[in-house]
Amino acid sequence: MRKILAVTAKEIYIVFRDRNLILLMFATPLVLSTIIGMAFGGIGESEVPDFAEIPVAVVNHDEGVDLQEIINLPEQFANLDALPFNLEDFGFPPNQSAVGPNPLLQDGSELNFGDILSGILLSQPITSTSTIGGAGFDVAQFECSLLDPSGEAGAANFAAEGSLDDLLDATAVQDPEQARAAVDSGEFAAAVIIPAGFSRRMVPQFAFDEGGKLYTKPADETGAVEVYANSGRPISSRILHSIVAGVVYQFERVNVALSATLETSVNTLLDSLAGGDIDLSAVDLPATAAALQGLDATALEPLGCLIAPGANNTTVAQQPLDASQEAPPFARIIVPIGAAQAVFFALFTGVFGINSIYEERKNWTLQRLIVSPTPRSYLLAGKLLGNVTVVFLQILILMAALTLIASVVLGAPTFIWGTNITALLAVTAALALCVSGLGVFVVGLAKTPEQVQLFGPMINISLAVLGGAFGFALPEQAARFSLIYWGVDAFVDLSLSQPDVSLNILVLFCQGIALFLLGTWLFKRRIDL
Amino acid sequence: MQTMVEARNLRKTYKRADGSTIEAVKGVDLDILQGEIFSLLGPNGAGKTTTISMISGLVAPTEGDAEIGGYSITRQPMEAKRLMGFVPQEIALYPELSARQNLSFFGRMYGLGGKSLSRRVDELLEFVDLADRQSDRIDTFSGGMKRRVNLAAGLLNSPPLIYMDEPTVGIDPQSRRRILDTVKMLRDEQDMTVLYTTHLMEEAQELSNRVGIMDHGEIIAMGTQAELTQQVGEEDRLEIMTGAQNVGEALIGSMQQEIAGVTRVLFNPPEQIGDNGSESTPARLTVFAKRGRTALPQIIQTLDAAGIDIQSVEVREPDLEAVFLALTGRALRD
Repeated sequence: MRKILAVTAKEIYIVFRDRNLILLMFATPLVLSTIIGMAFGGIGESEVPDFAEIPVAVVNHDEGVDLQEIINLPEQFANLDALPFNLEDFGFPPNQSAVGPNPLLQDGSELNFGDILSGILLSQPITSTSTIGGAGFDVAQFECSLLDPSGEAGAANFAAEGSLDDLLDATAVQDPEQARAAVDSGEFAAAVIIPAGFSRRMVPQFAFDEGGKLYTKPADETGAVEVYANSGRPISSRILHSIVAGVVYQFERVNVALSATLETSVNTLLDSLAGGDIDLSAVDLPATAAALQGLDATALEPLGCLIAPGANNTTVAQQPLDASQEAPPFARIIVPIGAAQAVFFALFTGVFGINSIYEERKNWTLQRLIVSPTPRSYLLAGKLLGNVTVVFLQILILMAALTLIASVVLGAPTFIWGTNITALLAVTAALALCVSGLGVFVVGLAKTPEQVQLFGPMINISLAVLGGAFGFALPEQAARFSLIYWGVDAFVDLSLSQPDVSLNILVLFCQGIALFLLGTWLFKRRIDL
Repeated sequence: MQTMVEARNLRKTYKRADGSTIEAVKGVDLDILQGEIFSLLGPNGAGKTTTISMISGLVAPTEGDAEIGGYSITRQPMEAKRLMGFVPQEIALYPELSARQNLSFFGRMYGLGGKSLSRRVDELLEFVDLADRQSDRIDTFSGGMKRRVNLAAGLLNSPPLIYMDEPTVGIDPQSRRRILDTVKMLRDEQDMTVLYTTHLMEEAQELSNRVGIMDHGEIIAMGTQAELTQQVGEEDRLEIMTGAQNVGEALIGSMQQEIAGVTRVLFNPPEQIGDNGSESTPARLTVFAKRGRTALPQIIQTLDAAGIDIQSVEVREPDLEAVFLALTGRALRD
């Protein structure tokens, strides 16, 4: 082991004594990264990051649903006659007009989910008169019991507290076609189009089947919210889609719960009536109606969760963005570009580091080592370990230098790579192994050192193009063939405080081992070592 | 005396790109005794380096084996290698490292470490008279200084056997003298066995206890200098440069028959050199004769009578060059 380490130490020492090599390994990628970072990210710190203020058009044509209409039983329930008893026996009038307005609801009471959704997107308090209202109270004042009462509760405050205000720059637009055209032209990243039947689709529709059992009718085919996205801004579109889906799912969850509760309750009630277990004539309906009218807002507080932004899952979608929002544009540009340049130049170190075996053979230092009582496998292991270590140190030093540059440019200490040091070291180590493995493979593939000089840069540049190191991205399916993609992707994730880079590490590690083994086999055929 | 190196039927065959084979070494048998300097003498391409490479474990023999101090180089390479040092023809050092760093690194490859390594490096730097330059990078050294460090690197493990492959190539006379003296000192003062390859007859003559003459991958003669020169008898060798003229078979025959003491005459005709063969080397007549100086006047007279233009005459007593010439019909430098 001491002999392997001696060879490794010699390799590292020789590399770091070579001024020209140092220039190629460190100065060039640093200069390139800094120039690209300044060109695309600006110099100073920005208060408004790119992922904030996503321009969105909101078209709300939702007509809502008239709650009186929903409660109107004979109208809604076509099979009411199938009940095993006569409602008139229990004091209900024989037709709809005789039912009159439901005592629970004021005239004109309406439920409009489109208003709620557009209100959330537009970061406006839900003050519309068309919003659901009860006798003497406004749902907008409800508090959501799922939230911390210390400060986040209160639907009226959501606009100030919700981060959607920073994330979205939403504009109300009337015409769906106009909104789509504006998305096509790039004015908006996406448009959210809420159709007229959105609320009707969301509100459960009940009916009695032929056996007199209450059931929920399938939702209308029409009425789904449309997110019309600009294909050139996939990330912004995806963010918006997540937000809309989160809000809509929230509505659906409430409605599913309501319909399940209602179905069970009504069917149980009807079974009890039919079986004579309940004597409805003993119930004082007018008194009950009056009691219901007297309900105050606290009784219906759970409804507040329906519209309180903190209670829907849009916040889950926003969390990964928080880290990127905190980072200024220069830092967000320098991370992928700097990482890509670091790995790209490390590829040259990997290839030419291994190629130095040919140089050693030419200078006879290799022969001198072979004649010593040192197994050849030790020499190869020492050489490779040295190469892996040099690449590892190169990437780490470049990352440290880029951190320094970012801090200087931004005027404050800025650790641009995230805080998960263990994961950073693990990714760097896997990358170093993969880069060295590629070096062994390229050197093994070439028949002469001169061919390495030709093949090495060709392969490295191809990987850089695939992996997006030159500033333009190829389709992800193609990029995945480049180790640069996996390395840069991991570094970017870590800089955004997303810790799960295990797949990247696994891919790099396996790729490195495979290239190393294949390269060693090829290499041993070329050179007697 | 104990045998240090015993090689039997060493053979090395290389494959050419076109699939044909070339036999670089054709079944060499060799015994080198402890404490002697054994020189392999032969022209460039004779197979000396390939032979030494097989014996040192650098190249695997196609056939045959060599034992170093009783250890087989093919079956017990690590044990055998511990007994040997190696001084290649090239400067096998890292130019980016200092003399001391080079010696320390190679010392570690021989299992040395700590104070013993440091002490050994100090000794060797003193030995090659470079202690004052120990911290300088090798690429700042002169050719002779590099050769001395190259030699020191071969002595790191205080080996009982050292291989030296043409260690004086390309250096100035002063450095060459220093290296030759060092080689003799290693044998005389440290009882070291030296396997020395050279194409310079003078070096082989000065250093060697025994000499093996190689040509075309074979050892064509082996023994002490006295034993080898006896093979060509007690004849002097007269080297006569004759300008760009041809010496015919008839004249050669008459010289052998009519001049007393002349036993053999070889003629190397002039060669065309330069662009378009515009120049030619002088022809060379080699005359083997007992009591050469006595026969010389008559030889000159005969050539003069035949109209041969004599440019120079040199009389040489029996040496290894003559042995090689006698055995191959070619000069060592051809």
